[in-house]
Amino acid sequence: MTANAEEQELKDRLSLIESMIAEGRRTTGTWAWTFVFWGLAYYVAIAWTAYNQWPNAWLVTMTGAWLLCWAIIRRQQKNQTERKPGTTIGRAILSIWIAMGVSLSLLLPALGFSGRFNQHVFVAVVAAMMGFANGASGMIIRWKAQTATAIVWWAATVAACFGSDDQCTAVFLVAIFLCQIVFGIYGMVCEARMRKQRGATHA
Amino acid sequence: MPELPELNPVIHGKLRLALLSLLIGVEEAEFTWLRSKTGATDGNLGAQLLKLEEAGYVSVEKKFVQRKPQTLYRMTDAGRHAFIEYVQALKQMLGGAIGS
Repeated sequence: MTANAEEQELKDRLSLIESMIAEGRRTTGTWAWTFVFWGLAYYVAIAWTAYNQWPNAWLVTMTGAWLLCWAIIRRQQKNQTERKPGTTIGRAILSIWIAMGVSLSLLLPALGFSGRFNQHVFVAVVAAMMGFANGASGMIIRWKAQTATAIVWWAATVAACFGSDDQCTAVFLVAIFLCQIVFGIYGMVCEARMRKQRGATHA
Repeated sequence: MPELPELNPVIHGKLRLALLSLLIGVEEAEFTWLRSKTGATDGNLGAQLLKLEEAGYVSVEKKFVQRKPQTLYRMTDAGRHAFIEYVQALKQMLGGAIGS
């Protein structure tokens, strides 16, 4: 083998390594729809509470949303021809969101049942938790768009502590729209683009 | 002139190198996923994975999920170490080749 051919073979090996590592990392599932889903769930809960002032509207809506979200994810996994392997980064991000979900699921009903609940505390706590989860996720995967949503949630946290009840509701509605609906749709567009770009890679 | 390192022959095989490159980015991977990513046949893939397993570079776990057999492969610490050494050696050789 000539020196040039040998060098080319080594270069081929290096590009094979790079392409396969990239292929392995491209295994994160499609999660952007969950932002839109939960944004809509928040809107349903807010509308329901505003309509008949039923104190358990949030609890019922969130429980229903959890079950529906879980059922959709299970169905997605069932329809996959092959199980996508998990990555450490993927597990780290999922852990953050599960921990945040559990924290909110315990704290908010506890505040409600203890009578220490009010609208400002509710919006501030939810926004702070969402800021935390989005901020941590955005920093882990170095995605500026998600870090930007964290900044919006953190701004909502501070704003919720001031102003009237109506202003607090407006802040929450705007934050949900920007950070759940708009960001979720943007994420879905990015995921669709990535799927389109992805071609079959063979060794 | 510094002596160029030798490339690990276990890793140097094209399919084995592809497999280790895939496994280094994930926690564990199913046989079927590795097959779809590499485009290899079942027989060839199984044989190359066995070589990597015998070298101690990957570990294998066989289990049943919903009554379906599942074979999971994980990169071991030795495999990670060998892979990093291989990449370093490859880069060094390429650096030498480009420089000569």
